[in-house]
Amino acid sequence: MILSWQFILMIVISSLFLAWFLYRPVKSNLSDDDSNIAINKQRQAELEIDFNQGHIESAQYQEAESEIISTLASELKSSPAKNITIEPLKWITLIVLSIGILSLLVYSQLAPKIIPNSDAALTEPLSMSESIQKLQDYLIENPNDFQALKMLGLAQVGTGNIDSSIESFERAFEVNPNDIDLLLQFASAIAANQNGMFYGKSQTLIEKALSLDPQSIQVLYFAGIVSAHQSDLDGAIGYWQKALYLMPDSHPDRNIIEEALSTVLNLQVK
Amino acid sequence: MLIEIGHFSLVLALIFSVLLMILPSIGLYQNKSALAQLTKPLVWAQGFWIAVSFIILMNAFLANDFSVKYVADNSNTQLPILFKASAVWGAHEGSLLLWVFVLSVWTIAVSIFSKRIPSNLLNLILIVLGAISFGFLLFLLFTSNPFERILIPPLEGRELNPLLQDFGLAVHPPMLYMGYVGLAVPFAFVIAALIRGKLDSSWLRWTRPWALISWAFLTVGITLGSWWAYYELGWGGWWFWDPVENASFMPWLVATALVHSLSVSEKRGAFRQWTVLLAIGGFSLSLLGAFLVRSGVLTSVHAFATDPTRGLFILLFLFIVIGGSLILFTWRSHLLQKSNQFALLSRETGLLINNILLITALFTVLLGTLYPLILDTLNLGKISVGAPYFNAVFVPIMIPGVLALAIFPFVRWKKDSVSRLTSLLRLNWIGIALLILLARVVMTDNIYVLIAIGLFIWVAFHVIILVSKRIRTKSKFSFAFLGMIIAHLGIAVFTLGATVTTQLGIEKDIKMDVGESQNIAGYDFVFNGVKPHTKDNYSGFIGDISVYSDAKQIAQLKPEKRYYQSGMPMTEASIDPSLTRDLYVALGESLEGDAWSVRIYYKPLVRWIWLGGLMIALGAFFAAIDRRYFVRAKS
Repeated sequence: MILSWQFILMIVISSLFLAWFLYRPVKSNLSDDDSNIAINKQRQAELEIDFNQGHIESAQYQEAESEIISTLASELKSSPAKNITIEPLKWITLIVLSIGILSLLVYSQLAPKIIPNSDAALTEPLSMSESIQKLQDYLIENPNDFQALKMLGLAQVGTGNIDSSIESFERAFEVNPNDIDLLLQFASAIAANQNGMFYGKSQTLIEKALSLDPQSIQVLYFAGIVSAHQSDLDGAIGYWQKALYLMPDSHPDRNIIEEALSTVLNLQVK
Repeated sequence: MLIEIGHFSLVLALIFSVLLMILPSIGLYQNKSALAQLTKPLVWAQGFWIAVSFIILMNAFLANDFSVKYVADNSNTQLPILFKASAVWGAHEGSLLLWVFVLSVWTIAVSIFSKRIPSNLLNLILIVLGAISFGFLLFLLFTSNPFERILIPPLEGRELNPLLQDFGLAVHPPMLYMGYVGLAVPFAFVIAALIRGKLDSSWLRWTRPWALISWAFLTVGITLGSWWAYYELGWGGWWFWDPVENASFMPWLVATALVHSLSVSEKRGAFRQWTVLLAIGGFSLSLLGAFLVRSGVLTSVHAFATDPTRGLFILLFLFIVIGGSLILFTWRSHLLQKSNQFALLSRETGLLINNILLITALFTVLLGTLYPLILDTLNLGKISVGAPYFNAVFVPIMIPGVLALAIFPFVRWKKDSVSRLTSLLRLNWIGIALLILLARVVMTDNIYVLIAIGLFIWVAFHVIILVSKRIRTKSKFSFAFLGMIIAHLGIAVFTLGATVTTQLGIEKDIKMDVGESQNIAGYDFVFNGVKPHTKDNYSGFIGDISVYSDAKQIAQLKPEKRYYQSGMPMTEASIDPSLTRDLYVALGESLEGDAWSVRIYYKPLVRWIWLGGLMIALGAFFAAIDRRYFVRAKS
């Protein structure tokens, strides 16, 4: 994938461009002395105008003029060095090799291993089963791609294949055990196999997520559910009240937590 | 594949920046002019590939290519086309690409418009700019890749931050970046001159126009940001001393000092060491600003990108730039010892006072910005430093600065006498005193407003005298002179606008029922009710308020309350603008029945704030195109 004809073309265009300028260099040979003489001449002309228009007095004019002369004298000491000619072909070869090798080397470190078909994304979306198949094919080549494993688990949950999704999440968990989103999805998949109850491993996963990010609204929501399932109503109320406190008023999930909280509060009253 | 081409273009740009650092350096060191003169083609090629990647990213936004993570995170199909284009710089990765793109634009501009600069100096300047590009391209490619793909693209993207869905925000960041990044040019001039060990007239002459242009862009960027905050945030304020605002204001203060210091160095050969330090300081503060915003150490309305890895990279870059520059400065400082003498009363002294005041103001802002961070880092508690601190310490420092800017253009270079100056201006001072007294009698007794009116009259009167003196002596009106008077008048206009609107503005946060009327500053605001409203990618409510003056309707204001997909509520103020006052209305919350809470502001002279800012920028542009920057040298 890394070596495509477009990239080769880009490297060739770049190399030809530089080669052209090695054979026909941009002409600019203004020396420091030429520039300093021109600037100080102009400063002297400005000084004379100021003097003639009465902005400065004679003594100041003399002093300023001698300053300009001494400044220029101190600056005029460069002697142009002799130019050494080069062999353009040798340098062009070096440049072409540098551009080609370095660019492909850097790109190989940065490029994605698989490029999604963006054209397809713009026209027709893949069906869920096609997505799962594509992910499974990709994972044969890249068995430790965390994002792909997590995505596969999510897609399998979407098709109701909970057992497979737990396997996928388990593999993703082995690659990265500290991803909050994975911990919540993984716990939810296990709970789905336990009639929606969070205990055992699903509870451990939520507790781990809570220890990693005690301020996350989603984590607090799930921690509340775990507490409620363990009949720790005060704990559940505490987590949900904290989640509501952290949530902006306009948050779309606010109603869900408010509803859960009122249910638990009612239970507590009863 | 287009996205991969964009990504690969950035990689090629990185390689070109490496070649730009190496090949011409070999050419300069070994006197191989064919290699040394590769700087320009290398700069053009690097700029071309950066432009290609920028265009490809913009195309991805316009084509709703949600296979690109950055596009999926910051745009959706419902977003209006203007905001799809501006969403390119709506979050971290894209704004960094914009930064790199702007840097390449500046570098190309230097390569094209610097025919009068000695070729060896120019080559070295372009090499230094290439090194800066290299740092930012590394940062972009290795920590903030805008071309990252999503394995399974979503059908619909997320929401661009609603605060950024606004014309002001579409143009504010590019302008600000032109200023921020533009400060890299005077920095590159200084570093190139230090490396060569030739801090001569050429270097001083050619640094100034670039410093002026970047300062002008920075001024426009800050002014646009202030204007946007005023009408978009719904609070009616124009400056909040937000840490990120301060991050852009600090380089502005240094750049202001730099353009003044450069004028002394250029004209009189004085302050050379100081000028070098200011050029280094200006760019370093730009990088510090980038660090504060990108690292996540600050939390503000601007902190849309927070990542410790990115912060660490910029911090490292900052250390290399500041540390390397200061080491170079120490090594070459003996070349900067020579300075022409000047008397206590001279224009040089005036510009020195200007510099001292600006740098003192800079340190007060820096202290107020960093102090809460330092306390937090040392676990000494969380504090917030806000407007009361900044107003108390910043304003008193700037008042003598405004007084001085009117007087010192009359003072001669090198040496002047108090008697000449007073005999020239004393009658005018009597006139100014009488005008201030008149303002006290007929306008206001608010002491702050009187001080501002006094400063305005002081500056405006002196500008008139300066112009009339030039006309009398039949002197030429150079662009440099015109630029100076426009910018100084801009300071006076800004000072008056800021003080009057702060001191005499009226703010009311009230409950209004349908048909109810409120009188504020002589205007009757009649609340006609609120209707549901849906447009493009949001829905919400639109209010209807009629404004009457002397029983005659003068405006119909339609403030909005918008709810975007993310559920984030946005207040869109409705403003009846004029040069003398703004009538500003924002919808609050729906209350019982048909009543709503409404914020009504009367803002006298508020437009003068931005008018002043634009005048300062215009003055800088004028000064940058002065005739003496087009002097032709023959080889």
